[in-house]
Amino acid sequence: MNCDTIKSQVFPYVDGELPAALRDEIEAHFVDCESCRRVVEQELAFRDTYVARLRPDPTPPHLRDRINHFVTGLVEQRARSRRRWYKPWLYMTSAVVLLAIGVGLGLQLAVVLERGTMLDEVVEASVDQHQKLGRGSLPPDIVGMSPQAAEDWFRKRVDFKVSLPDPKTPNVALVGARISHLANAEVAAIDYKLDRDRVSLFIMPEGAYNQLGLGEKPRFKVMKRRGFDVVIWRHQATGYTLVSEIGARACHVCHVPDETFDGQGLESLLRL
Amino acid sequence: MDKVAEFQAFIAGCLDSLHNYAMLLARPPEDHEDLLQESLLKAFNGFESFDRKLPFKAWVFGIIRNAHIDRQRRRKGATLEDPLNDNQTAGLLQSPLFSIPLAPEDILLRQETIERVREGIRRLPTLMREVVELRDIEGLSYRTISTVIDRPIGTVMSRLYRGRNLLRTYLVDPRRQDGHATRGTP
Repeated sequence: MNCDTIKSQVFPYVDGELPAALRDEIEAHFVDCESCRRVVEQELAFRDTYVARLRPDPTPPHLRDRINHFVTGLVEQRARSRRRWYKPWLYMTSAVVLLAIGVGLGLQLAVVLERGTMLDEVVEASVDQHQKLGRGSLPPDIVGMSPQAAEDWFRKRVDFKVSLPDPKTPNVALVGARISHLANAEVAAIDYKLDRDRVSLFIMPEGAYNQLGLGEKPRFKVMKRRGFDVVIWRHQATGYTLVSEIGARACHVCHVPDETFDGQGLESLLRL
Repeated sequence: MDKVAEFQAFIAGCLDSLHNYAMLLARPPEDHEDLLQESLLKAFNGFESFDRKLPFKAWVFGIIRNAHIDRQRRRKGATLEDPLNDNQTAGLLQSPLFSIPLAPEDILLRQETIERVREGIRRLPTLMREVVELRDIEGLSYRTISTVIDRPIGTVMSRLYRGRNLLRTYLVDPRRQDGHATRGTP
């Protein structure tokens, strides 16, 4: 074994990745070769001084919190799912016992609280994504496309139907769209501009919407969070979340201002 | 320990490494936080299939890498041979493999700081940086790295060799831009 061969094996040697026979052969060479021995000694010194002290860059606190919250959410969701699918008898028994002792009201309260937690999760995630879309840290996959072209783009990439309305008024512009994630589900994220205001519309498949555990009533779930207005609803087997800072006016990305639902105007239906 | 609690504990123990790897792979306009979150969701859903012969973080590295490749393909609408590759890296990978590694005595004499070494690693082309970080920062074996990046061990060794030599070139001559090592070249 010559010096060039030895030197080409220095990295695997100091990494402890060589087979024993080859390692022994190299070490036998060191006995008579000061030059090769010195190369290895320097490499080991370099490692001790620098490489051994290298650490991954620390995760920023805001991201650590976000990931902790996210993983905790996954764990809770799994626990809920297990209870739902594998232990239905537990619920039934509990309900019977509770009814028997006349605390049906308490049971109802528990359901409302759980629904509220799910709703909170969706609202938080929606606002977070809306802010990121607005400041460009979640850039669109497509820009400057018509609603039909955007629908075609999504059709090739997601497993659920994405239907985008034509803007009903000239002050609405479809800025861009991307595939994103909202509360553990793949969603179509649509970024609109209404006059000077940003409006984010998230579209998710019915299965994902159902997993959120939201009830049918009220039809539009309306919340305020960190100064943003959030509306969540289901329509024709698709879930929607709309985020903005402009209240019910955000609905004008899809509907004309004087449109009514069940005999009521948008403003009265969405008390933001 | 319950599976989900175990998953939670695993994530808490290696979040810095996972975040670091997502940052390494994601390029604008891709958001590394979004990539990390998507990958953790996939890891959680597939935790039952976690092969315990691998370190947990190496298993998630593979998921992050695949999620990144899927996103690149989806964005570009085509199959890419290696989505991490770029023109700069392609040129360097075709250059001759130096038979003699750069001796680090100059670097030792200069008493570089750890941060300068870390910065030098960040400057490496992605394909080399990935392997150097997985080995020198994450401490993975060649075989495990080969599993993570889905390439033969010979490719791992070659990228590691070139990456480390390039790093030494940067440290000896910090102004160097092209990254072609000359010292120690036969």
